This record gives sequence, C-alpha cells and structure tokens, in this order.
Amino acid sequence: MVNLTIDDKQVTVAKDATIFDAAKAAGIRIPILCHDKKLHPFGGCRMCLVEVEQMKGRLIPACTTPVTEGMIVRTTTDEIMTARKLVLELLLLKHPLDCPVCDAAGDCDLQNLTYEYKVNANKFTDEKFRWDIDYENPLIERDQNRCIHCGKCSRICDEIVAFGAYSFVNRGIEAKISTPFDEKLDCEYCGSCISVCPVGALIAKPFKFKARWWALNKVKSVCSYCGTGCQLTLGVKDNKVLTTVYDEDQGFHNGQLCSRGRFGYQFINSDKRLTTPLIKKNGTLVPASWEEAIDLVVSRLSEAKKSDPSSVAALVTPRLTNEELYLFRKLFKDVIGTDSIDHSAGYAHKALTEGLKESFGITASPSLIEDIQKTDLLLVLKSDAYETHPVIGFEINLAVKRQGVDLRILSDKSGKLTRLPDAKKYIHKPGSEILLVNAIAKSILDQNLADPAAQSLPGFDALKSALAAVSIEQISAAAGVPVEAITRLATDYAKAGKALILLPIGLGYPGHGSELTSALANLAILTGKLNKEGCGILILGEKNNSQGAADLAIHPTAGGRDAGAILEGCTSGAVKVLYIAGENPVVSYPDKAKSVKALESGAFVVVQDLFLTETAQMADVVLPVKSFAEKCGTFTSVGRNVQQIRKAISAVGQSRSDREITAELISKLSGAACGGSSAEIFTEIAASTPGYSSLSTDSLGDNGVIYPVVITPKLVPVVGVVPETEEGKFALLIGSSLYHCGTMSRYGEGPMLVCGESYLELGRTDAGKLGVSEGDTIKLKSAAGELNLKVKVGTRMPEGVVFVPYHFETSAINSVTAGNPVTWVTLSR
Amino acid sequence: MSNATAQNAATEEKSEEVIDLTAANAVIDKYLTLHGNLMPVLQGIQDEYGYVPKPTIDLVAERLNVYPSQIFGVLTFYAQFHLKPRGRFIIRVCVGTACHVQGAPRIVETFFDKLHIGHAETSADLRYTFEKVACLGACGMAPLAMVNDATYGAMTVQKVDAIVADYNQRPMKK
Ligand code: SF4
Ligand code: SF4
Ligand code: SF4
Ligand code: FES
Ligand code: FES
Repeated sequence: MVNLTIDDKQVTVAKDATIFDAAKAAGIRIPILCHDKKLHPFGGCRMCLVEVEQMKGRLIPACTTPVTEGMIVRTTTDEIMTARKLVLELLLLKHPLDCPVCDAAGDCDLQNLTYEYKVNANKFTDEKFRWDIDYENPLIERDQNRCIHCGKCSRICDEIVAFGAYSFVNRGIEAKISTPFDEKLDCEYCGSCISVCPVGALIAKPFKFKARWWALNKVKSVCSYCGTGCQLTLGVKDNKVLTTVYDEDQGFHNGQLCSRGRFGYQFINSDKRLTTPLIKKNGTLVPASWEEAIDLVVSRLSEAKKSDPSSVAALVTPRLTNEELYLFRKLFKDVIGTDSIDHSAGYAHKALTEGLKESFGITASPSLIEDIQKTDLLLVLKSDAYETHPVIGFEINLAVKRQGVDLRILSDKSGKLTRLPDAKKYIHKPGSEILLVNAIAKSILDQNLADPAAQSLPGFDALKSALAAVSIEQISAAAGVPVEAITRLATDYAKAGKALILLPIGLGYPGHGSELTSALANLAILTGKLNKEGCGILILGEKNNSQGAADLAIHPTAGGRDAGAILEGCTSGAVKVLYIAGENPVVSYPDKAKSVKALESGAFVVVQDLFLTETAQMADVVLPVKSFAEKCGTFTSVGRNVQQIRKAISAVGQSRSDREITAELISKLSGAACGGSSAEIFTEIAASTPGYSSLSTDSLGDNGVIYPVVITPKLVPVVGVVPETEEGKFALLIGSSLYHCGTMSRYGEGPMLVCGESYLELGRTDAGKLGVSEGDTIKLKSAAGELNLKVKVGTRMPEGVVFVPYHFETSAINSVTAGNPVTWVTLSR
Repeated sequence: MSNATAQNAATEEKSEEVIDLTAANAVIDKYLTLHGNLMPVLQGIQDEYGYVPKPTIDLVAERLNVYPSQIFGVLTFYAQFHLKPRGRFIIRVCVGTACHVQGAPRIVETFFDKLHIGHAETSADLRYTFEKVACLGACGMAPLAMVNDATYGAMTVQKVDAIVADYNQRPMKK
C-alpha cells in the first residue's frame, strides 16, 4: 500500500494505483475524457492534469501516473483549471457543436465539461472537420467530425471485444479514427464503442432522435437473452423502452453488452406483441376476453385432470422468471399431478440436469464466470462459446489478452476464439468430442498425472477399466487430431496450476449433453481441478434462466414424458392437453415435422407467449404475456448468480405475466387461493430449493447473489462412439449466430438488421468446388427434407463441414435435422 | 494457418480488385516466423506489386492474425506506403522555396498539361505518377525535377517536353 495526500486528504491505495484511482477512492473527482477504468491507460487528452508537489514545473496526467509514497497532489489550482480549459478550447475548435441534434447531448463528457469549466468563448479559430458520416452500417452512426480522438472506441474494440474494427489513420491534421479503407463499419455490432465514446461521434442508430437523454427514466434490470445474465439499464419514456443505457458500474462485465443485449430490446414494444387472448373458433384464432380464455383453459385442464392427469403435459421456456417456473411446476406437478413437464427440447439442459447431477451430485456448475480470468488454462469445447455467450466471450478475450491465460479450443470448426493470440485449436471431425475427451482422460492416466486423491473417489476403478479399452491412436484417426496433440493437451491440462473447462449448451447443440459433460467432469475430477479458484467446469446454459429452470426442476420426473415424448404423446393421443409457455417447438426443436404433427394431432393446445409465434398460430388458446420489462422476479444466470429484474413499463395491451396467469390457474383448479408477490414466491423458492435457502429478494440487491453448492465428485465412464460419415456428403452443424439467441431475438430490430435471415456457411475450398460464392443460393438436402439457403463463405469451416444457424423460421433448419449432433447433407447449386 | 488455406486464399474474389496473391503469399511465408513481421511483410508486398493492393491486406490480416484496421493504420501513417497502383515512372518536381522562386510552378503546370494528370495522380496506362515534393536538398540545381532516380536540374519548359518525349519511348517492363 502507498500513502499520499490529495487536496490535503490522506489516502492509502494499492501500489499499482494511479493518481486518478487514488483520488477516486478518496471521493475526489478528476475530470477525464480518454481514460476508462476497463482499458489500458492512454494519456492522450490531458483533461486529467494535476499538480504534484514532487514534480513541480509541469502538470501531470492523473490517469497514467502511478502513485508514490508521500506524494502530495493538488487537483484544482488556478493553473490546473486554466490548463483544462485550454484542453477544452482546443477540442471545441474542431468540434461541430451541433449539440441540439446530437443524441449524446446530456450524456456527453465534452458538453458536460465545457459547461463545468464555463468555456463560453474561444481565443482560437479553426476550420471544422469535414469527414463523411457513416450512415451505411445497420446499427452505428459514425460521425468523425464529432470525434475528439480519445481512442477509446479503438481500444475497447481491441482490448475487450478483440474485433479490432478501428484504428487511428493518417498523421497530423489528417489523423482520424477509421475502419480499414475508410469503408462502412462491418463488425460484431456489440456497441461497446458507442458506450465508451465520450461524445456523439458514435451513436446507436435505432435510438437516433428517439428521446433526449435527460427525459429517459433509467431502470436497472437483467438481459433476457442468453444465460450470461448481463445486467442492463433500460431507458424508458412514455411507457416505451427506447434504448439500453450504459452504466460502467453494472455487473462483472462493467456494463458491457453484446449486440442482442444492447440492440435487441425492441421486441418489448414491438407492434407484433400479442395484446389480447385469442381463442380458436372455426379454425381461426379470434380475440377473446381473459375470462373466456381462462375459463376454457381451466375446464380443459380440470377435465383432463379428472380423467387422467398424465394426459396433461407442459413445455415451459427457461426464459421465465424463477417465480414463474416455480408456479408452473406447482401447477402441473402438484395441482394437476402430471410428471410430463420439460423445456428446451428435452436435451438442451441435460448437461446440467443429468451430466452434472451424475458427476457432481448437483444440477449447477461448480465454477463461476469470474473463474475465467483467474485460471491458467482454459479449455473451451466448441468455438461457439463466443457466439452463444458473447459477454462471456469478452471475459475469455480478457483472460487471454490481459491475464495470459493459455486457451485451448476443442472444436469442430474455427471461430472468433481460435484467432485469439496464441490460442491453440484442436479442430476435430464433427461428433468426436466424447472420444477426444476420453482420450485425454486416458492419456492423463497413462502419464500418471492423475491426482492421487482421485483414486479413492467413487467410479475411479470403473473409469480406469473403461478407459483401458480406449485406444488413443484409434481416436486420433477417427477424430482427425494427432496423437501428440491429444497427449500434449492432456499433459498441459493436468500440469496446469489451475484449469477451467467451458461447455456451451442449448437447442443448437444436441451433442452437448450429459455424456460429454460427464466426460469433461472426469478430467477435472481426475486431476483435482475442482473446488479451487480458476478451476472446475462451467456449463453455459443457453437462455437467461436456463440455470433457474434446472434449479427448479423443470424437467420430467420418474414416469413423466420428456419434450420429445410429449410431442409423440400428442400424436399418439396419449397427451390430451399440451400447455406451452414461451417455447417454440415448430422452429427451435429438432424435427419440425414432428412438432407440427403433434400440434395438429387434436390435443388441446394452450400457448402463452409474447408473440403469435409459429407454434402459437397452431394453438387452441393463446394468452398474451408480459415481457421481462413489464414484471419483477429473478433469473439465475451461468455461474449460479440469482439476479433481480425490475418492472420498467406497464403491461403492453392486456398482457399478464406468466406468474399472474399461472397463479390464477392454480387458484381455480385447486380451489385454494394462490396469490403472492414475486418476493413472497421467492421466499417459498428459498425454502424449497437446494442452494437458495439463504436467499431473499432483499439480499439480492443490485448485483444478485451467487448461491453456494457442495459437490460430491464421482467419476463416470462414458462411451464415445465413432461418428458415422457418409461418403460424398457434407457434415451439417447447427448452432447459434452471434446476433441471435433462441427465436426471440427475431423480434428485436437490432439483431434482424444485422442478421435477418438464415444462411449456410462454408469454407473457401468447398465453395470453390461447388462453384458458389457469397450471396448465392444453395440447395441443402438431408434424409428429412431439403432447403434453399444463402451462401456465406468464410474461414471458419473446415473442408466438408457446413454451418447453419437454428433461429429462423424461413428456411428453418429443423426441417432437415432430427436432433443428431451431425446431419449428413448434400449440397448443390 | 495451414498451407491449404493459404492456397485457397490465393485468389481473393470478394474484393473488387482481382490480383494474383502468389507473390504476397511468398513474402508472408518468408517472414512468417519473424517477430514484428508486419513492416517487412508490407514492404515486401509493396516491392512486389509497386503498391499494397487491398486483397493483400486481407491476406496479411488473415495469415499474420492482425486486424485489417491496424494494417490500414500503419499503411496510412508511413508515407512510404502506397494504397493505389503507381506509375512505372515517378516524376517528382520540387516546389521548395529555392525551386519556387526559380519557376517551379511553371514546370509543374507544364507537366500537368503534358501528362494530363495532377498532383499525386497516376496516368491510366500506369506509365506516370506525378508528385510535387518539398525541398530535395539540391537547391543549387533549382528548379529541380526527378524521374525515378534520375535528377534533372535547371529545369525549363523545353526540358519538360524532352523528358516526356524520352520517357514515352521507354519500355514499361523494368
Ligand atoms: S460495435 Fe463492437 S465490434 Fe463493432 S466497432 Fe464497436 S466495439 Fe467493435
Ligand atoms: S469516436 Fe468517440 S470513442 Fe472513438 S476516438 Fe472519437 S471520441 Fe473517442
Ligand atoms: S445476450 Fe447474453 S451476453 Fe449478450 S448482453 Fe444479454 S446476457 Fe449478456
Ligand atoms: S483522461 Fe488522462 S489524459 Fe485523458
Ligand atoms: S527547394 Fe528545390 S531542391 Fe531545395
């Protein structure tokens, strides 16, 4: 620690602190323009000049100068004030001062400081910049005339986003921030650069001219897309969510968001929202009153309950709050008495509900997001971890670029992550993950690198004898990864001081199930990489509340049907009432025909959703629900963080929350009142859910609480199967696009502007062989059906492997897939 | 990146410019393992093509794993790099103080008329690039012009005619 004096105040700070940090700790504000706590110091703008007794004769930038013992700092002498004023005067020379039409007005550091330092005249004159404005890209308007050359956009895009869209170009008076060749911006559209730009040089196009900054009501909440659980602030005016607002103090991610979190909010006030209940009459859905709709649903449910409770089944999306999921379970399991309740096609949660359950005795990851930057070696299964959870991707970028974490990617294709500096990739044949992980385990045992303590754990002998039958050479041949690479990875993983494994799961990843999870858990258990900071395994659940759905056991219990069986049950007539809350099987479950058949089977189908989705269109009753912005409750994110969402606007149309609807159904069906606020239900959850017992909504606060887990490790042998290959065909992989999450993001304007339709991605060699190029249409054919898709040529796909995102209804990829990790297809022009 | 992928990249179709990337790949191969290889690679490419064509930037970005934006930053920072094709013959006319008072502006004008190109422009047939430059350090010979490495002192309008006539005859091949 270092002691110093700032403005006559004694301050003690860590020795790597700067004067700026020390002042901040002491509650003294030093103005900054180019400094950002998340970025490497830059020292370009000189706004933060201070005086240091020991360095008299010149003013010192506070943001780059480290503290030293006994330093005496002054932050507001006349000389300093004049110098800062000069900095502003010089910036204002070139700055257009078009504040009346600038969206940053009110949230502009330059404007605020100009006001604060009373710069109402300028002793200099100069011409303004005359750069062309980039209006062309879908989401970010770039007006370099307003730029003050703080470099934050280019630094954040490099240091945290690792995309590197911008650079300073030219010299002297011609210098500016530019994209390559000064072309329109073409990037990930995470908007990180907008959030840190101190002026209005970078603005969010969808928010342009929507509202003045000071007129917005700012409400803290949690992103409702993926499982990362980023905190966000909604900017609200006139009962509309108009934007997301950057707050650098929110969450582990310091307010950083990805494209869908930042630009995908428009679904909330979309004019496609359902506003009234609908009932199917004479084959068409027509508006109905809540009373009529609820009465109908209640009568069908109670009839079915009376005759055979197991003829009722429910598919409930993990996008709902914990409180809602809890009530759903209560309604179906306790009140109606069916065991057939499931979510995410039944397979997209098994890594948690079966894999971790088997290996660790719990249904949540033992590790946390914070472990990513604290580990030594990070083993990521599938490069898609970046696409499925982009802000966790930022953590990986930071781990590699800032903490020097050794990144290993075991994947069937390349991607953003494989391009990180010194990342080592092991590109394997599709479908050979379990084989490879088993081979690594085998190599760890062969090299005697297993932790001695692991030998007394349950399952050790079983695993050892199972692995005895495994041949690393054969696996190497089947997976296409050299033997040396496998054994080297085994050695490095076992010998690393700390090692962490990441596995994304979800509807796009049928292969990432319980077996792969147990195989990976074996590695951590075998080498003792558990129960320590920076160690273990982190399963990246797909949706905002995937972890909550696992915690609240939204999956079938003994004798119940899982999602696939529920759909089959509808078709066979065994399921008479199918209740779907927020799921969209027609688009997102594998084997579209199966879902459609089930919905057409004659079972009574209730759908509650925000939109008239492809699934809702086939329902008998449709109930409009509130979005996350219209209600309170909690989500549990990756790494077990239970966080609160807050009501930002009142209900759109007549929509009711899933909680209100379910509570009413419980009351009507059980005859016992079921009311209760979210907080009251949360208390019930805490009392009945493992891990949640110490939590209450009051204790959650702004940052949420990570609930504790205790693991009981067990080694679980799993058998990998050599994937089939089909001569002359392409291996089709499905997965997540960076701009989408599930099917909900299709109702967000931002994601659709960047990626509005499905596509087929393939490598250059294959494109050459097929004679197709970017933008052409290609025909894809599998055993199940055929589709036409736009071609995207890139560097990610190995030869013979193609990729299609799974989010879209038009050219829905689930019409050619059946839920296998790999689908063999033919392609033709 | 593997050799196979490097070869796939041999003809880049996405950019408007279609050029043969074999030479650029060879330059990259040469410096691939060198630390701090960006500058020598870009210089090597400029030596091969006479400028740094856009597709080579994409190629360098991919093979050296550097952001294209960063490469563009470097290329625009150093005056030695050219992003557009350059003429076979680079004509430079000094407009420094000494040359200026000795009549450089008229020399410049005459070249403009003769070549039908302006400052920092290249003729459509890629024969000439014309540049006005600051003092070349040979004020005794003012007004001064240079064509590639050859120096022409005490320039006159007549001499401009002679130079252009001469270089019009010279072969385009190096
Ligand atoms: S939006 Fe994101 S990826 Fe695009 S330039 Fe800005 S920071 Fe970079
Ligand atoms: S665009 Fe904004 S963030 Fe980027 S350098 Fe200019 S002022 Fe800074
Ligand atoms: S989609 Fe996921 S990563 Fe993106 S902002 Fe939302 S929670 Fe964060
Ligand atoms: S904030 Fe310190 S130099 Fe810019
Ligand atoms: S001014 Fe022309 S050479 Fe010096």
